[in-house]
Amino acid sequence: MASKVGRVKSLSRRSFLKFVGGASLVGVTLNLTGCGKPITPDKAIGGNGWMPTQYNAPGNWPTSVRGRVPIDPENPAIVRDDQKCILCGQCIEVCEKIQSVFGNYELPIKKEFVCVNCGQCIQWCPSGAISERDDVNKVFKALADPNVTVVVQTAPATRIGLGEEFGMPVGTNVQGKQVAALRKLGFDVVFDTNFTADLTIMEEGTELVKRVTGELHHPIPQMTSCCPGWVKFVEYFYPELIPNLSSAKSPQQMEGALIKTYFAEKKEVDPKKIFSVAIMPCTAKKFECQRPEMNSASKELNDSKVSPDVDVVLTTRELARMIKRSGIDFASLPEEEYDKLMGTGTGAGVIFGTTGGVMEAAVRSAYYLITGQQPPAALWNLTPVRGMQGVKEAAVNIPGVGDVKVAVISGLANARKVMDQMKAGHAPWAFMEIMACPGGCEYGGGQPRASSPPSDEDRNRRAASLYNIDAKAKLRNSHDNPEIKQIYADFLTAPMSEKAEELLHTHYVSRADDFIPKKSEENKLY
Amino acid sequence: MAKGVLVDIPKCIGCESCSVACKLWNELEWDEQEKNKTAIDRAKEPNNGLWPEEWTSINRYDLEKDGESVARYVKAQCMHCEDPACVSSCFSKAFQKLPEGPVIYDQSLCVGCRYCMMACPFDVLRYEWKKAIPGVRKCQMCATRVANNQETACTSVCPTGAIIFGDRDQLLAEAKKRIKENGYVDRVFGEKEAGGTSWLYISDTPFEQMRFRTDVTTKPLPSYTEGYMKATPFVGVGWAAILAGLYVFNNKGKEPLD
Amino acid sequence: MELVTTVVSRAGAKMSSVRWKFRMTPMRWVFTGIAAAAIAVILVRFVLGLGATTNLNDQWPWGLWISFDVLLGVALAGGGYGTALIVYVLRRDKFYPIARSAMLTSLLGYIVVVLGLLIEVGQWFNFWRPYVSWGHASVLFEVFWCISCYTVIQILEFCEVGTEKVFKGAHKYLKKAMPVMLIIGITLPTLHQSSLGQLFYLMVGKVNPLWWTAFLPVFFLLSSFFVGAGMIVIESTLAGKALNHKVEIPVLRGLVKISAGAMILYLMLKITDMVVRGTFANAFAFDLPSIMFLSELFFGVIIPIIIAFSSLSSTRKGLIWFGILTVSGVIMNRFDVLFTGMGKYLNQYGGSYVPAVSEFIVSLGLVSIACLAYLFLAENFNIMGNHESEHADDITIKDGKYASTAK
Ligand code: SF4
Ligand code: SF4
Ligand code: SF4
Ligand code: SF4
Repeated sequence: MASKVGRVKSLSRRSFLKFVGGASLVGVTLNLTGCGKPITPDKAIGGNGWMPTQYNAPGNWPTSVRGRVPIDPENPAIVRDDQKCILCGQCIEVCEKIQSVFGNYELPIKKEFVCVNCGQCIQWCPSGAISERDDVNKVFKALADPNVTVVVQTAPATRIGLGEEFGMPVGTNVQGKQVAALRKLGFDVVFDTNFTADLTIMEEGTELVKRVTGELHHPIPQMTSCCPGWVKFVEYFYPELIPNLSSAKSPQQMEGALIKTYFAEKKEVDPKKIFSVAIMPCTAKKFECQRPEMNSASKELNDSKVSPDVDVVLTTRELARMIKRSGIDFASLPEEEYDKLMGTGTGAGVIFGTTGGVMEAAVRSAYYLITGQQPPAALWNLTPVRGMQGVKEAAVNIPGVGDVKVAVISGLANARKVMDQMKAGHAPWAFMEIMACPGGCEYGGGQPRASSPPSDEDRNRRAASLYNIDAKAKLRNSHDNPEIKQIYADFLTAPMSEKAEELLHTHYVSRADDFIPKKSEENKLY
Repeated sequence: MAKGVLVDIPKCIGCESCSVACKLWNELEWDEQEKNKTAIDRAKEPNNGLWPEEWTSINRYDLEKDGESVARYVKAQCMHCEDPACVSSCFSKAFQKLPEGPVIYDQSLCVGCRYCMMACPFDVLRYEWKKAIPGVRKCQMCATRVANNQETACTSVCPTGAIIFGDRDQLLAEAKKRIKENGYVDRVFGEKEAGGTSWLYISDTPFEQMRFRTDVTTKPLPSYTEGYMKATPFVGVGWAAILAGLYVFNNKGKEPLD
Repeated sequence: MELVTTVVSRAGAKMSSVRWKFRMTPMRWVFTGIAAAAIAVILVRFVLGLGATTNLNDQWPWGLWISFDVLLGVALAGGGYGTALIVYVLRRDKFYPIARSAMLTSLLGYIVVVLGLLIEVGQWFNFWRPYVSWGHASVLFEVFWCISCYTVIQILEFCEVGTEKVFKGAHKYLKKAMPVMLIIGITLPTLHQSSLGQLFYLMVGKVNPLWWTAFLPVFFLLSSFFVGAGMIVIESTLAGKALNHKVEIPVLRGLVKISAGAMILYLMLKITDMVVRGTFANAFAFDLPSIMFLSELFFGVIIPIIIAFSSLSSTRKGLIWFGILTVSGVIMNRFDVLFTGMGKYLNQYGGSYVPAVSEFIVSLGLVSIACLAYLFLAENFNIMGNHESEHADDITIKDGKYASTAK
């Protein structure tokens, strides 16, 4: 028995060790033969994708273009589809170098992303990742509602852009077809923003004269305020220059305010049941119509149920989308006329759509307002303020006043340079026209993409088309517009009257607290 | 040289270039639902905005600073611990810390026990629950790029330099310099946390308000079980020997049980 | 249901036949039903993945299956190694009558654990990886090796019983190897029972300090040891009813007393641990973790100790209460470590986990399968100690074929 137990004991120990040893041996062998080899980087998950070549470099290698602009998900004007973004960096390029917005603030950011909603990044984004915030459905919904009168206005520049979306050459004027298309889509009333462009000239011109004569204690130069991107830029970066901005609203907002008051009154429509749409070449207009100041109709009528003066802004591209979605054959549409009351514009109004146009129109009417006489033919072709240069200057001789110096700027980086000069005390001008987008509205952030990034060639084509409309127009001065005369006679009494002030003028807010402005050149972001 | 990334939180503008770069480089799929989430939404999610197909996330925190309300964007991803819990917890060695810094994962070795997910001190590991054959997912710190002397995809695209790639030692010195210069919170998150991590964070707002696990141990996590695992074979053999002895002793002179 | 397996030689001559019997009772039908439902869920799980069949998520990568099927399964199956230790190594022969059934329960428990694990892991076809790709720094590595080896050992141990009836030729070899198998079969579980506790030690700062301690392995080991007695009591009661076989009270009482001894040690260690780490305040905070912790100790340990050392344990009722309380205590403990212990941390940013119905079905299904298997084996093999197996001549089957006929 004892010997048996002894055998059992030796057996147990040996087998146990054998078992452990054998198992380890198998493991070690398999380890050595490959199954347990250390993982090499190529075995890691992921890492088989693609990146633009500029990024495939060692750390802190200089790269000219990195990343992309930040876009607030709440941005009223622009949105981005991350899935389409290829990180090419074009948006940052335009935002920083052309618009001087990105990178012109100190970090950390406080709360919001500094953005003037100009939409130029849309025009530069090669993959279509950035686009306007799509409001098409809101409009379709209003159109489908029989209780609502949908009134639409079209900006000067949309008529020379929309055709491109339907295969027409760059700059084709499709004013009549655009009106026909809008009617076909079901808009009840189609107005032209050219009308309020003319009105703007009357208000802004009067304001300018008052500033010059000292009747109004506001500084000179007076700066235009019809570009919401530019206005926001001043509010952000040059709040001290806010008093230089004309208090006149932009044509879009004037039209909106009048639709819900003047039109409503004349046509006896309940302003609460008016849905006011603006077709614009611009994304910043989407921001502008949402500004809290922009509900004068509600204030004027003392009725909080009246919605903002402009309910929805659609870009030219969105209008094209609506037309396509509704299956309208755009090319075969007839040429139609705008509705009366606020549908007539002059040649001066239509050139609002390009850089220098506001200035040209303003000069024509200022001449009239100061001298009481019609401007000479030379002022119908003010070449120094035409063309694609970023900063243009001109001097206009107005009898009784002498040489009036004016400046025209487009592109915010250009504006920044001039503003810095102004702050340094160099401001010889009486009046300045500034547009956020290079070339003005005709290549605004909401226009069809003729080329990406936009080229001056295409800008010139579109501008030429606008000047052509002006040249052929029967009326070329804002103050000659019969509907303008009518509205002053019937409704507003006179430029800058109390009612005009209430409906057509506004005020601005400093946005300097929303971020920390850049301190000095050395403190660049990267 | 061990590489690392320095995240300078106040410098982040929330452009999310980095997370798009991650998607591009790793060919991660886009999910409609995730795409429509904002940085604010993601900051409130239980998983910090990290999903199997989102290896990094920019999260926004609205905080009070000097009586003013401010927003801060924080990039979340695997911290790439110096001595990672995920590596030590994996019983089939599917994780590995590379000398250059990245902690990588090879799905072909993975059994799918998810012990790593439980072990990770920063809770960054995600699992492909929706797949029949799932794997663990996390930032790999662009291991192949780093091995080829390129910087990580996310740092390469950051327009503001909020995330910079470099030697960890140098970044650590830089971080300390910036803390002093800018009056940041006096802590480099990642210097000692969980025994140190390749990713380092500095901030001017309190870390604990931005979902950082500020109370995490500073000891490397594997050190908690190292001793146990080393002792196990000896305990095992010793215990077996004792049992054998007892067996023999107690069975002496007795009929064996059948 | 009765089944006769006949071994037929190639030539067609009948060599031997074995009689299998399995009586279907209503309870067994219930088990079969649950098992069938579980198998259906398991199929879905393999086709559609874990997301489709569980509520597991990235905050809760471990849930019911890990805690119930694995943590608890292993613990409750701990009766096997404990009994083996007492009976074979320490030669307390009076407990021999329960040895075989305890070890069978343990074997079935482990098979359920292994099956559960295969269902629970994501890449089940990779289960063998750790054998070759050694993640030897992982506690789970140790658990994995031990559980898999131990299951094999247990199967071999059971073969020693099994070969009394089939493949009788192998019996004598297995019998010879028994001592080695027994010793390995006690060493391995001691190691991995404690390792299961150590698993959680890596989750530093995530587990409530009431449970997270350096003593985790010792606590897991001790509790798996003392729960063995509780399990045996419950199991012998249930099996006694089903199979008409009762284990004598003194045997059970002795076992219960040994178990209670371990409990006293456990309790003392717990208290020491609380003193050392200063967690008394936590324990008496009377929030959810504290209540769970205290009731786990009070109902699961203290009352059973009292039962064991009082006259209560000389009645069947008292024994059954001991069993129920001890087992519930350990169940609570294992759930507490994962759910109560980690809940606060894992849910801090709004995570949540409530096991899905399908998870419960699978867990219950696995238990049902184990019960059915137990009943089948206990009816057909010499488990309960009543030797009724046929002593047919040894037949070495080298070239046999099976023919089955159902009766
Ligand atoms: S809209 Fe204009 S300001 Fe805004 S991000 Fe684009 S380019 Fe910059
Ligand atoms: S331009 Fe468009 S594609 Fe390029 S980085 Fe900007 S958003 Fe992305
Ligand atoms: S953060 Fe987590 S996943 Fe990343 S290395 Fe550390 S332990 Fe591993
Ligand atoms: S790329 Fe840079 S700035 Fe943009 S979100 Fe990422 S870390 Fe922030």
